[in-house]
Order: sequence, then C-alpha cells, then structure tokens
Amino acid sequence: MSDSVFFTPSRRTLFKLSGVVAGGAALAACSSKSSSGSSASPGDPNAEFTFWSFTGIGAKASVADYLAKNANAHVKLSEVGSTTETATALTAALAGGVVPDLVMIQGDDLPKFVENPSNFVDLRTLGGKDLAGNYLDWAVSGATSTNGSIIGVPTDVGGLGLAYRADLFQAAGLPTDPAEVAKMWSTWDGFIAMGEKYTAATGKPFVDNVETTVFFSTVNQVTEKYYSPDGKLVYDTNPQVKKAFDVAVKTYKAGISAKVAAWSSGWDPGKANGAFAVTVAPSWLLSGIKSAAPATAGAWRITALPGVGGNWGGSVIAIPKRAAHPEAAWQYIKTMMSTDAQTEHFKSTGTLPAAKDSLKSEAVLSYTDKFFGDSQIGKVMSDSVLNFHSFYNGPDTSAIGAGLLNSLASMQTGNVAPEDAWQTGVKNVKDAVG
Amino acid sequence: MSATTTQVPPHRERKQPGQQPTRVRSSFLERAAPYAYVAPFFIIFGIFGLFPLVFTFFVSLFDWNPIGAHTFVGLANFERLLHDSRFWNALGNTFGIFVISTIPQLLLALGLAQLLNHARLRWANFFRMSMLLPFITSVAATALVFGQIFDRNFGLINWILGLLHLDPINFLASRLGSWVEISAMVTWRWFGYNTLLYLAGLQAIPREMYEAASVDGANGWQKFTRLTIPSMRPVIIFTVIMSTIGGLQIFTEPLLVAPESGLTCGAARQCQTLALFLYEQGFGQFKFGYGSAIGVALFVIVVVAALINFFLTTRTRGAR
Repeated sequence: MSDSVFFTPSRRTLFKLSGVVAGGAALAACSSKSSSGSSASPGDPNAEFTFWSFTGIGAKASVADYLAKNANAHVKLSEVGSTTETATALTAALAGGVVPDLVMIQGDDLPKFVENPSNFVDLRTLGGKDLAGNYLDWAVSGATSTNGSIIGVPTDVGGLGLAYRADLFQAAGLPTDPAEVAKMWSTWDGFIAMGEKYTAATGKPFVDNVETTVFFSTVNQVTEKYYSPDGKLVYDTNPQVKKAFDVAVKTYKAGISAKVAAWSSGWDPGKANGAFAVTVAPSWLLSGIKSAAPATAGAWRITALPGVGGNWGGSVIAIPKRAAHPEAAWQYIKTMMSTDAQTEHFKSTGTLPAAKDSLKSEAVLSYTDKFFGDSQIGKVMSDSVLNFHSFYNGPDTSAIGAGLLNSLASMQTGNVAPEDAWQTGVKNVKDAVG
Repeated sequence: MSATTTQVPPHRERKQPGQQPTRVRSSFLERAAPYAYVAPFFIIFGIFGLFPLVFTFFVSLFDWNPIGAHTFVGLANFERLLHDSRFWNALGNTFGIFVISTIPQLLLALGLAQLLNHARLRWANFFRMSMLLPFITSVAATALVFGQIFDRNFGLINWILGLLHLDPINFLASRLGSWVEISAMVTWRWFGYNTLLYLAGLQAIPREMYEAASVDGANGWQKFTRLTIPSMRPVIIFTVIMSTIGGLQIFTEPLLVAPESGLTCGAARQCQTLALFLYEQGFGQFKFGYGSAIGVALFVIVVVAALINFFLTTRTRGAR
C-alpha cells in the first residue's frame, strides 16, 4: 500500500502544472457597466463585449472614456494580470476556452500570436487596412502576419531615452544640459568615454548595468535583428547583432557598470542613492523612477540615447476569431485607437501613442515634467520611435533576446568571462531554439 | 475491506416467495452500491489524474503549439532532451538542492525530536505544535522572506557580514549560493514535519528496551546508535522517501527566489530545477510537446527513485 502512496504525488505535480493554464483562464471580471439584461442581437456594435487587458496600462480609464463617448455601449473589462499572465490566459482561451471579444497583447508576446493568424480576426476585413496607415509602420508590421493579415492595432509604443542624474554629472565635471549630453554621447563610444571620465572623477560606476541599459538599446538600433526579412534565423551571423553585443561587453570592460540588474533589489534604491548615474528610461518606466527616488526630484534629466532611435515595449489590441461580439469590439478599437483618442489617452495617463500624427501633436512634443528638470521628455520619446527602424521579429525573438541577455548578465555576476560572453550567448540561444 | 462483506446481508435471508422482482433489483443494487460509493474517486481520478497522465505521454510525441499546428514527431522530443544541456543542468540542480536540503534537514529533525521527547521537557505540546508553523506558512511568503534574508544589497546575512567588515555575498549569482538559499527555504518548511514524524517514532519505542539496555551497561550514545536508530528505521526510510519525492518536485522556491531571476532561476540557469524547466518550456514558451517530454522524463526519474526506495523498504523488512 505504501508503495502506491509514494507514486501519487509525482503524478499530481504534472497535473497541477497542466492546471495552471486552466487556472489562468478563470478570471475575476470587474464589470464597468452592468449588463442591461437585454440580450443583444449578433452584429450589434453596442452589445456587451468582454475586454481582457493587463494591469498598469490605464484600461479602466480608457473604458470610462469610451462609455462617456458612447453611452449605449457595454464593456466587461478584466484586468487579467501582468502582460505575460494575460498572454498565457489568452493562449489557454484560444487553445480551447471562452475567448474574450477584445484583448491587449504586449510586444514581446506578439510574435507567438502573429505566427498563428487564424486565431484572430483579420482586421482588414473590418476596415483595418485604412486604419493601419495612421500608425508607426514598424508597429503595424509587428502585428502583420506573413500572409498579410493584420491581427492587431497598435495601442501604444515604448519610446526610449536615457535618464541621468544632472547633480552627479556636475560633480564629475560633465555637462548637465540634456542637449549637450545627447551630443556628447551621440555614439556609444562617446557614451563609454563619458562613463570612464565619470568613474575616474568620482570612483563610482556610471551606468546601472550593461544588459538592459546598453544591449537592449543597441540591439534594437539595427535594420535587421535576429531574423532576416524572409524569416530565417540570422542572430549568430548578423554582424549588426554581434556589434550591438560587443558594445555591451566593451562597456563592461571599461569598468563603468554598477552591475545592478533591472528589477533586482538594488535597482530602485540605486536610483535614489547614486549607486549609478545613468539608467534606461522607456516612456512607461518614468513614473517608476519617480516613485523609486522621490528625494531626487529635479536632479534627473531625460535625453536621447546614443545611436539612432529606440523602443522598448508597446502593445496591440486584437479580436480573437471566435469572439462573440467582434463588431462591438471593433467599434471600441475605432473609437479609442483613433489619432485624437490616443492623444487624449496620453494626456490623461502618459501612455505614448502609436499613431504618427499623435506623436507629432503639440500635447506629446511639449510634454515635460518638473521631476526630470523640465527635460523635453515628449520630444525625446517621440523622436526615438519615429526614428526606429523596422525589422522582422519571428516567433523566437524574445527567447533569442533572453539567451543573449542572460549571457551578459552572467558576465556581470562573474560567471562568464567577457571574452566568452558571445559564445555563451549563442549557445544559450541554440539550446533554446534548437 | 472486511467491513463491506459483513454489512451486506446474506442473500438467503431475503428469499421469500412473491418478492422475486424486488429481490433481483435489490440484489443488483446491493452488489452495485459499493462500486457507486467508490466511483466518485475513480471518476475524478480518471479525469484529473489518469487522463492527463496518458495525455502527457501522447503530447510528448508531438511538436504541439497550443494555438497552432500539432505535428507528430515521434521520439524527437526525447532525443533532443538527451542532448539538451539545459535538461542535464536542471537535473543536476534538482539533485544538488535535494542533497543539501534533505541531509541537514533530517539530521536537524532527528536531533529536535530527541529533545522534544525528553521526559522533563515543560510545555512539550507548545514546542511540538510550533514545529509545524513553518509547514503551514505559505511557500510564497517563505520565499519572499528568505529572498530578503539572502538579498545581495539589503539582506540580513550581508548586513551582518558588513558589520564584520566582510565583502557581501551575491548568493543568487553562483550555483552553490543559490542552491544554499533554496535549500534553506526547503529545510525551513519541512524540518518541523519530519521532527514530528521522528517524535512519533521515538515514542513508539518501548521504554523497557532502554531499561534493558541500561542493565546491559549501554551508555547514551550506544543506546542511540544501537537501539534508537534501528527501531526508527522504517520512519527514517519513510521520511527519506517523502523528501526524495518532494525534492524532485521543487518548483515554487526557485520560481519565487528573486523577482529578476524569472523562469530560468538566474541568468545562467544556476538554480532551475526540473519542474521549473518543465514550466518554462511548457507555459513560458508554449512548447507543449517538449514540456510534456520533460514531464515524462521526470515521471521516469521519480519511478526509478521510488523503485530504489521500494527495494530499501523490503530489505529492511527482511532484516527484521
């Protein structure tokens, strides 16, 4: 008898794991407006539709705006969880559950869904082709499958700049004005030279880490990344990727990295206590810097990163094929993703728009913040995404990025020698993508 | 088992003329009733236990994208697994963490059980009950607290090292360091449970045997090694087996050990266990086929471990 007892738990684990996906689909829904009780006929654009969003993107405010504009509409909003949790729940739903009518998908998760476009409504059939021209080309192409169908409309992008401490720069004898700083580090070599100067003057590290702040920036300033335009893997042969990687290794070897990984326990305190003077600043992380280091108000500046262009993050909004009320969902997209609506949403929540004209609007370009010494944040962010190159992202783009990034992180913790970092990164990726 | 036979009345008591149909029906119901009573378990086990198990074997033969194509690939997933350094790394981590969490844990539990069994211990029940507190605390809460104790920048341990003017240790960065951190969590969670099992084992040893040993002139240590340990052998083997099974499944601790460590438990996968590797492949990357193959491999490993345990158990029985 005891023997069978010993077998049981191991089986259970497997089942528990398979239950995780099912559990992800069991969501606590918060209804923004209670259903009127009348059952809507199919095709009714005001029918109650379900909307899955992730947290922290201001979905509740968007839905409230929508209901203010369209009093007859009914929206059932679920803030599922993090971007990854939302993608996991969506995968479970698409694989055989109840799908939402409308869903947000974050950029890193997008390729997996774009690879299987038959799971989503081709938005061209609802009028998305006309709409697509309004948005940044690379953001639309990220949601366009190889057969040409557009599965998502870009809701926002992650404009990228660098944040630096003007007070620490001044103490180290470096310029403090954002325009001068941007000019001095217009190339990554200039960035490293500035860092060496800073570290020599203060004895302190310059940049928080090399994997996210440097590599994540450099590897996205390319015209071709891990895949060739026709979808072949080129991460190990593409000289642009190797060059981007080498910049990170060079930064590390210069001895100017504080070796504090993003989101590790030392990251937020480091912003407050001057353990480093430069950190990465995607548009959605600005509020994070403010809350991490309230005492440094007025000391931070935001300026363009070295090289040309940048983007980190951004999302699209999509309608699953089996949605019960695609028309209602489409009406929401049309209303809330228009150029004007994205500008409005930026004003209320600071979410950087993906619509081209919205990015050139006065509201975005003139955006400043006292906390960041009235730096031209709006212009920096807008320029970075308008100058961003379009390149093809395949299904394994995030896995490849993680493999290379992990090698750099291991280099920083001393587990991989700088000379071996590239080989280790390529091996990580080979293991991951087979 | 004997209870069912005694409670069903013998058939011949009901054999009365004119009640033929009722007799047939009730006899059928009577025979079916026990099966109906146990059916809920088997139905639920079949749906949530047996089916997923068989289905996992089935899926492991496919390149299975949950929202795309399911392509039959035969044993290709297993072939890849054998050549996947990440799999062997995870296997090594699993056994490494298992060894450094189980051995000190069981020794600690044995020592504590001896103390708790002391005749002159006051408030014995209070101490015995408090042993279980870590066990009933949520794993996630434990992981958060230990994450802070071992933290590189602001952890308690590094704060003490700082007071002693020693360099801080980045536990998570190294393989051994991260193993130690996770093992500490596992030990904290399970030592009380094992202590109580050992305590029960100790209390089952008749006092007369100790008295007899004293008469024979045995000292304390001899009593412990010659009398206590052999008498406790079944309990010790039980705890070793339970720890083996628990150890092979370690999942939550490496998942929650640090917010930045992700599904790989660190940039170099330094503390990724088999269960976490399975989760990363299946639910992080949506490679259901490959994830299932890892699940099957884990199943085989547990079966082998259980067979070894079975062998040990029967050998002990034979020795007695």
